[in-house]
Amino acid sequence: MEHTSTLERVLRGIALSLIVLFFMFPLFWIFLMSFQTNETILRIPPSLFFEPTLGNYKALITGKLDTAAGSLDIAFMKNLWNSVLLSTSAVVLSLILGVPAAYAFARHKFRGSEDIAFTLLSFRFAPPLLVLLPLTIYFQQLGLADTYVGLIWVYQLICLPLILWIVRGYFEDISADVEYAYRIAGHGWFATFRKIALPLAGPGIAAAGLLAFIFAWNNFVFALVLASADKQPVTVAALAFVTASGIQYGQIAAGIVLSITPTLAIALYAQRYLVEGLSLGAVKG
Amino acid sequence: MYEKEKDLARALARRSISRRELIDRVGKAGLSASAAYYFMGRAGTEAMAQDFDWKQHAGKSVKLLLNKHPYADAMIANIQAFKDLTGMDVTYDVFPEDVYFDKVTAALSSGSSEYDAFMTGAYMTWTYGPAGWAVDLAEFINDPAKTAPNWNWDDFLPGLRASTAWDGVPGSELGSGDAKQWCIPWGFELNNISYNRVMFEKAGLATPNNMSELMEVAAKAQADLGGPYGIGVRGSRSWATIHPGFLSGYANFDQKDLVMQDGVLKAAMNTDVSKSFHKDWVKMIQDSGPRDWSTYTWYQVGTDLGAGASAMIFDADILGYFMNGGDNAEAGNLGYAAFAANPEASAPTPNVWIWSLAMSTYAKDKDAAWTFMQWASSQEHALFGAREMDFVNPVRQSVWDDEAFTNRIKSNYPGYVEQFQASAPGSKIYFTPQPLFFDLTTEWASMLQQMVANEVPVDEGLDQLAESVDRQLKDAGLG
Repeated sequence: MEHTSTLERVLRGIALSLIVLFFMFPLFWIFLMSFQTNETILRIPPSLFFEPTLGNYKALITGKLDTAAGSLDIAFMKNLWNSVLLSTSAVVLSLILGVPAAYAFARHKFRGSEDIAFTLLSFRFAPPLLVLLPLTIYFQQLGLADTYVGLIWVYQLICLPLILWIVRGYFEDISADVEYAYRIAGHGWFATFRKIALPLAGPGIAAAGLLAFIFAWNNFVFALVLASADKQPVTVAALAFVTASGIQYGQIAAGIVLSITPTLAIALYAQRYLVEGLSLGAVKG
Repeated sequence: MYEKEKDLARALARRSISRRELIDRVGKAGLSASAAYYFMGRAGTEAMAQDFDWKQHAGKSVKLLLNKHPYADAMIANIQAFKDLTGMDVTYDVFPEDVYFDKVTAALSSGSSEYDAFMTGAYMTWTYGPAGWAVDLAEFINDPAKTAPNWNWDDFLPGLRASTAWDGVPGSELGSGDAKQWCIPWGFELNNISYNRVMFEKAGLATPNNMSELMEVAAKAQADLGGPYGIGVRGSRSWATIHPGFLSGYANFDQKDLVMQDGVLKAAMNTDVSKSFHKDWVKMIQDSGPRDWSTYTWYQVGTDLGAGASAMIFDADILGYFMNGGDNAEAGNLGYAAFAANPEASAPTPNVWIWSLAMSTYAKDKDAAWTFMQWASSQEHALFGAREMDFVNPVRQSVWDDEAFTNRIKSNYPGYVEQFQASAPGSKIYFTPQPLFFDLTTEWASMLQQMVANEVPVDEGLDQLAESVDRQLKDAGLG
């Protein structure tokens, strides 16, 4: 059995604390900023002590923002809802399409299967701006411009390849013998997929879904180009606090806190699956 | 209902009561400030409706693409007046400035008919116009059936009218004979000194009158104030670093970015005078500028002035204007001064940024769109925005002649009107219009960064820049 000395444990603890501090400090600082006015945020020198205010959250939730230029209407909560709607719907659709496809690519080798899989992956290679203009024209012709359906469809460029390739790797890591045994017992391939493959691939699917959700959540360029202001996600909305008459740092910080909360909550809840799913899917013997 | 308030609005239109009086009386009637704005807008509306058929497009709707800006806010606050005047409906999408021009470019380049009119900068029309994405507005301006007689195009400041018109020929003068009017000036900013009066008083400083004094005052402020740095100017690798204070000072020495020689464009930023100006500018930043100057944009320059981190800025006057209000630590402490960098110059020569209104080539109903643009750029709306909102700087002379506006500015923004009056005659776009504008000015900013970082001597850097610019112009068939 391996033993570690007290000194090693202390040094390791210090190193871990420093790493946590390094990564968490910006989040902590943003959290503090979200309870301050612009004046206290910008004071020189900065201080950890201040009189907290809920004004920033109030402005975001009520939709009224007071700036140097007067009272402005903001639609942050609407944008937050747009992000939830677009990201969740896109991931659900990607899971419905991508998981069976991943299973097919993993289990059924057919002519052109690698080419098709690679083509789907190549969606991730193309810079979004390269495909957006042609897409805009097609969307206008198809009546999909400025619709949630159109946006959810285009979000498949983000989610589908991710889910397909992660889950495919995961299916390939599961021994096919278990499935063969189930098939021999007289069950069809769909029942095998549903009762055996899907439960075994659960952590991988959860990890892929979570990652796809985060990628979809962080995207802004698709909605920016393809939709009107009322369908913009929170990533575009956050920029609205950067105005010619000044930057509303407090509201930006509160907006960040509100907008990362859903992804953070999901990530914390699913982190066990995330680590397990990604490591199992990634390591092949 | 509201008959009493309507009478008040009419009284305002006749100038028999003041705006403040109208707000007070509407307030006493138990109505909100927005209701007061409504009645003020209505006063202007009634005045406008007298000699032009504003209802000719009643029932139609236009859609606008707007930047999140106080100008757009002022328009939205007064939009009911437009609806009442014309019987038209207006919808709009407002996007943050960081992504606004991406949205505009995507909409126009894809031929989208979603938006009828949009906000733009004059520089952008050097791309949009020749590409066929924007409409030449001269045909509307000159058509009495489409334009109200009291709209008064001549009331717009001449430098701004010229700066928003171009014939599409690279290097030709803005506003020259065959120029097309790609957009209508809406609100603009010129570049001068905004300074912290309290800090200047504390350090016993006077506002500078030329480049040498600017460098001295900035250095002394930094040395004596014990904290704030001397002067804020932009420094990011962007065209926006060149166009404000830098180009305004540069133009004051009669220097150009490009010149036309033998029918082709040539770089002109490596003359002896230009090198001397660049050396002063670089030294000023090295001695008295912000530490991370190369990241500085509009936002950092303004935020530092408002927070008391800098003693002054040489940037847009309206940036200083905005920083003198709101919850800025230095609100109320700022002053303004005209600035001519060249001691031998007779007046300042501020380069300008003009927020303008343009019409999309793909607009569904251009006449209806023009009706909106005409109202939004009317004297009535400009007066409303200038008096009651932050629709500054006004582009119409009549607004600058309006006492209600100038008195408001004079009482809250010391020196602002004076710096404007001293600079307005020399205010225009000093860049040479050509399609490589953004590429070349970004490279200029990049070279400036290298000079400030002492990576390249100024003389050598400008020779390299001129060589590169000439090469690019030649490659593009312009040089």
